[in-house]
Amino acid sequence: MAYKVDHEYDYLFKIVLIGDSGVGKSNILSRFTRNEFCLESKSTIGVEFATRTLQVEGKTVKAQIWDTAGQERYRAITSAYYRGAVGALLVYDITKRQTFDNVLRWLRELRDHADSNIVIMMAGNKSDLNHLRAVSTEDAQSLAESEGLSFMETSALEAFNIEKAFQTVLLDIYQIIRKKALAAQESASGTGVPQGTTINVNNMSDNANKKPCCST
Amino acid sequence: MAKERIPNWLNSSLWSTTPTVDDRLHCFSLSPTTTTTTAAAAVSEPIVQPTVPVSPPAAASRPQSTVTSQKYEFRDPIDKNSNNNSNDNDQNASPSGVSPDDISRQAQLLAELSKKVVNFRELRRIASQGIPDGAGIRSTVWKLLLGYLPPDHLQWSSELAKKRSEYKQFKEELLMNPTEITRKLEKSAVDDQSKSESSGLLSRSQVTHGEHPLSLGESSIWNQFFQDTEIIEQIDRDVKRTHPDMHFFSGDSPLAKSNQAAAEADSFFCFVELLSGFRDHFCKQLDNSTVGIRSTISRLSQFLKEHDEELWRHLEITTKVNPQFYAFRWITLLLTQEFNFADSLHIWDTLLSDPEGPLETLLRVCCAMLILVRTRLLAGDFTSNLKLLQNYPSSNISHLLYVANKLRSQASN
Repeated sequence: MAYKVDHEYDYLFKIVLIGDSGVGKSNILSRFTRNEFCLESKSTIGVEFATRTLQVEGKTVKAQIWDTAGQERYRAITSAYYRGAVGALLVYDITKRQTFDNVLRWLRELRDHADSNIVIMMAGNKSDLNHLRAVSTEDAQSLAESEGLSFMETSALEAFNIEKAFQTVLLDIYQIIRKKALAAQESASGTGVPQGTTINVNNMSDNANKKPCCST
Repeated sequence: MAKERIPNWLNSSLWSTTPTVDDRLHCFSLSPTTTTTTAAAAVSEPIVQPTVPVSPPAAASRPQSTVTSQKYEFRDPIDKNSNNNSNDNDQNASPSGVSPDDISRQAQLLAELSKKVVNFRELRRIASQGIPDGAGIRSTVWKLLLGYLPPDHLQWSSELAKKRSEYKQFKEELLMNPTEITRKLEKSAVDDQSKSESSGLLSRSQVTHGEHPLSLGESSIWNQFFQDTEIIEQIDRDVKRTHPDMHFFSGDSPLAKSNQAAAEADSFFCFVELLSGFRDHFCKQLDNSTVGIRSTISRLSQFLKEHDEELWRHLEITTKVNPQFYAFRWITLLLTQEFNFADSLHIWDTLLSDPEGPLETLLRVCCAMLILVRTRLLAGDFTSNLKLLQNYPSSNISHLLYVANKLRSQASN
């Protein structure tokens, strides 16, 4: 019956899934964490939560993913969910123009509530419905460029690019953290602090760096 | 225009259990969600048309004595097609084994329902222990518990007829084709004109700016009409998508259609009654007030602290599981997403019949849910606890309700 308290990871990254209601966030989550897709999925109420542990550059990374409700009603309640998030998957539906037009609103939401260094990937989901497409890849690409986001079209139904989208976000986060750690290490050695000091990069996430990564 | 579109029923006394805030009417109609409405459809269960006629296992076990002594027909008196009462959809999920307890409770309920005037205290007492699935009486009992049906049998059929036609009228009012609305507007405009300009001058007909199908103005009735239609279609698709096994929502025969119309009206009013105690949770503007969802979640947390401080401390202080992360859904959906449909019905039997009222009862059941998995929670960290509470394990509902009931006795002693 006892639950093992899980410390079997080098990093824990909190990622939020955001975007309009009905774009497929929950199915992206279930595809990534359980390799499942459910046509009968009900709309998310409040927030749902799942994790998956994977390897990034030889490190064990636990992705803690928060799937938030897309409906306007829940914004006030869900703002707390952005706290501590180091990555975001901003999802729209390639068959619904409105969901793409709202990407800017979601970006504003992120900038208001999340860490300014948050890594953002924009995902144009439902790429399997190409015949119903209402947002061109070029439009999305140019928006992503102007806003400084990564971008990918995905399909939770066909398991297309889901893995890759998360991998990319996690790798970006990892590299940012590593860079910070290295910079901190350099400045630390420059000021004469003995090498091997544990560097605190916890500002990225409450539980990140449970094991000191820079002790060598 | 916006004012005129508020239908009469929104101002009805049904809604006025709590002090009125102007925003409430508006915020309540903001974003329709289909999630809670489906369980409310259970109030219409007897007129579900099963696709395949099967002989219900429970029909055999129905105590004959009570049926023969029955004076009043407790079935939906208007709907003559509801003879397959015991064939309703919640049978699908219920085990065929009927316990002696169920049979005796069923007999008591049937006896209560067949009285000329139903004794509410008695009905609540029996129903709070759960309404047996077999007899197909849940729909009637719920209608009574929610106050949709009056206690006096003689009034049932007229009351139902009245409500159903009222509902039909609401629908016509609300979902009126804009052509009709503009025609009426034009007609009244012309009437006004002819009154004021009877001096013999040629009347000029006004060119309407706002009201035509291509108008994009936010207040345009056409624009509103298209938006409404889209929402209705979306609800339709979502209900069929998320409840593919419920025949109530499908079926195109004239019989099925007329049943659906009556059931829709009944469900609507029952839903209104049910939500009268919960609607503040759905009002964003009230989120930070003492009646809003946040405050209800805090009450649950407080309640847990009173009954099991160790568990409360571990959950909220040690593992930092904010009750919002799970209880928001528990409370707003009245647990319908935490349990399967048949189990949800049993929980709702208790929510609707407990004399303390649905909200108090719900908080007790939620607290019992936490206490029932306390060993696991106490051994868990943030991740495992949140996963457990967001995917609550299937449970023995009778036991859950028993524990919830005990929480009350402790509090009052």
